[in-house]
This record gives sequence, C-alpha cells and structure tokens, in this order.
Amino acid sequence: MTCDKTREQLTAYLDGELEGDRGTAVRGHLRTCDACRAMASDEAALRDGLRSLPPLDPPASMWAGVQARLAKEEVAESERPAWRRALARWMPSSPRFGIGMAFVAAVAGVVLVLHHKHEMKRDMVMTTLPHETQAPAPAPAPAPSNADVTAEIAAAPAKTSQDYAQATKELLAAARTESATWSDDQKQAFDAKVGELQAAIDGAAEGRARHKAYRAMLRYLQGAAIRDEVALR
Amino acid sequence: MSAQLSDDAQLIAACRRGEARAMEMLYHQFKRRVFGMAHRIVGATDAEEVAQEVFVRVFRGLERFRGDSALSTWIYRLTVNASLSHLARRGRRQEVSDENIPEQAATPEPERDPGLAARIEACLDKLPAGYRAILVLHDVEGLSHEECAAILECRVGTCKSQLHKARARMRELLGPIGDRT
Repeated sequence: MTCDKTREQLTAYLDGELEGDRGTAVRGHLRTCDACRAMASDEAALRDGLRSLPPLDPPASMWAGVQARLAKEEVAESERPAWRRALARWMPSSPRFGIGMAFVAAVAGVVLVLHHKHEMKRDMVMTTLPHETQAPAPAPAPAPSNADVTAEIAAAPAKTSQDYAQATKELLAAARTESATWSDDQKQAFDAKVGELQAAIDGAAEGRARHKAYRAMLRYLQGAAIRDEVALR
Repeated sequence: MSAQLSDDAQLIAACRRGEARAMEMLYHQFKRRVFGMAHRIVGATDAEEVAQEVFVRVFRGLERFRGDSALSTWIYRLTVNASLSHLARRGRRQEVSDENIPEQAATPEPERDPGLAARIEACLDKLPAGYRAILVLHDVEGLSHEECAAILECRVGTCKSQLHKARARMRELLGPIGDRT
C-alpha cells in the first residue's frame, strides 16, 4: 500500500470506519512507514483534542435576550401586512408550495409527453408516406383541431414564463417594500443581484432555460422578502 | 411536567401552544450545543447574538416544523446556517484569543498537553467556515456523519471528504502534536 493511499484513508481508519482488509492494509503500512505513522499520530491527537474541548456555557443573560427578541418579533408579526403573510405560499418549505410545484411539474410533464407524441406521429407520417403509395390516402386530419393543439403546445413554455414573470413582479414589489428597513449596502447588493438574475432571465432561451432562471430569481426574492424565515425547513 | 415533555413531539406541541415552561425547557436542552457551535464558528463576540437568533427562529418556526428530521438535527441546521450567514453578512473578525474564550467553560478533562485546547481553538478560527463547521459538528460535538450530512444538507461521502480535508488543514496549522514515541 502506498503512502498516498494510506493518507487518503487515514481519517476513516482512525475513526474506525475501515473494515476488514482495508483497515488491516492501512495498519500494516503504518507499522512500516515512519512518516505516515507520524501523520496518523498527529491526526489522532488532533481528533482527541477536538473531542475534549470543553463545552461552552452561554451567558446567563441569553435566555432573557431570546425572550425579548421573541416578544419584539411577535409584535412585529402581528403588525405585518396581509401581503407579507400571503407570501408564505411561495415559501419552498411550505407544503402548499410543494404541492403547487408538483402540479406545475405534472402539467409540464403532460405537455412534454403530448409534444413528444405529436412529434413522433408527424415523423412517422413523413417517413412512411413515400413507401405506401398504393395504400389509400389517409383521411386528412382535421386541420383546425391539429393546429390548435400545436399552437397550445408551442405556447405552453411562454405561458409558464408569463406565470413566472407575474410571480416575480409580485415578489419584487414585496421585497421593495421590505427594503425600507435595509441598510444602503443591503439595498445595493439587492439591486445588483436582481439585475444579475434579470439579465440571466433575459438572456435565457424560452423554455426550460428561462424557467430555471426565473426560479433562481424567485428563490432569491423569497429570501429577500421573508428574510427571517428563509432558513426554516 | 418533565415526564410529560419527555419526547420531542410533546415538547414541540407544548411550545406551539406557547407554554413558557416548555419553551424554557427546550432552550435549556439545546443552549449549550447551540451556543457552543455558534461560538466556535462565528467567534466569541457574536456567539450570543447568533445563538439568540437561532432560538428565535426555532420558536417561531416550530409551527412549520414537520418532523422530516429530528428536532435536534433541525436546530443544529438552523445554528450552522445562522452562523455561516452571519459570517457572510458581516465578514470574519479575528477574535478568538485566550481571554475571549468564555465565560463559564465547564471543567475540562485532564489533558496530556495543557496548551493544546487553546491552540486548537486558535487554529479553528483560521479555517475556512465550511471546514470549521464540519469539525465542530463531527469532532467537537460528536455527531455522526449521517447527522452532519443532514445538517449540512450534503451527501455522507461529501461530509467525510470535507472532514478529511479539514483535519489535514488543521494538522498543517497546528504542526506536530502527536505522541512520537
């Protein structure tokens, strides 16, 4: 066993995570290699040192501080405008958001399947027609209906983009309202990030790429508009 | 009361009802680890502020806590996220020194190298925040790789790899410390 291979596995070996032959191979190498043995000794001492660091007791005043902040935030919550509470439906942690996204994904999936089937059917017609000159000509499909389906399929990505754009507009307005309480630095950082994300949306091709860019924007705006809730899971 | 709140579900339910004693019980159950993690990730000066923020988020977020993970995992995830966000917002301040290591530290077990703990604390402070987080969770707090992965929202393999790199970086910073005899 080489020194490099031994050192790659040193952490796992010292933590007892290497079993059977792999552990034996590392142990065997350590018996014969002074450099690796010294490294193992250092890492074991470091691990033991970290494990024996004393626990840290918080200051006795911390609980009072938590209660004071909690009270302050609860008062602020009670005064929060209705739109702020309504924004909760955009929260990734919200079950409603999950259901909504699942619905959007399901619709997108159906649209893709329909689109794929339509393409396959069209390809089949295109490839088989020249070889079936003796067969009776197939009845022409009802043109208006076919045209409508195609138009709907073609319009689906743009419609989704419109929905995303509307959601972005609403969240942006909410974040702008929230920004009244931010520092100038925070406002600048927010504007720069929104500009960057909007540029990504504008530069993305219609369809999945643009939708992905919109989702990035929505995630950022959620965090900005509901800053104290974004870390909750 | 203690028996009634013996498990997480009962404790959470009581906290959701706004029972002050339950909230205080939850606080005391997690205060050391939350404060300790925050202290070792953000440093002494901001640790209390971050820990307070974590508990406020915990109590306000319990309503939406669905129990997908253990209560402890969720609280530690909030702690790590709040600590890393705090560092990102305000920038890292160099502040861990012997006089800043607090407060009412519990009595440590006897050590072979009495200065090692202080050296380790000082070197922790020099690590990138991500390395610091994994070392604190796994080595200091003794959480499993699975728990660390759930808290850091990464794969177990990534967690192990990060721990390996973090320890290697710490060894470089500390220099020889092992028993060479």
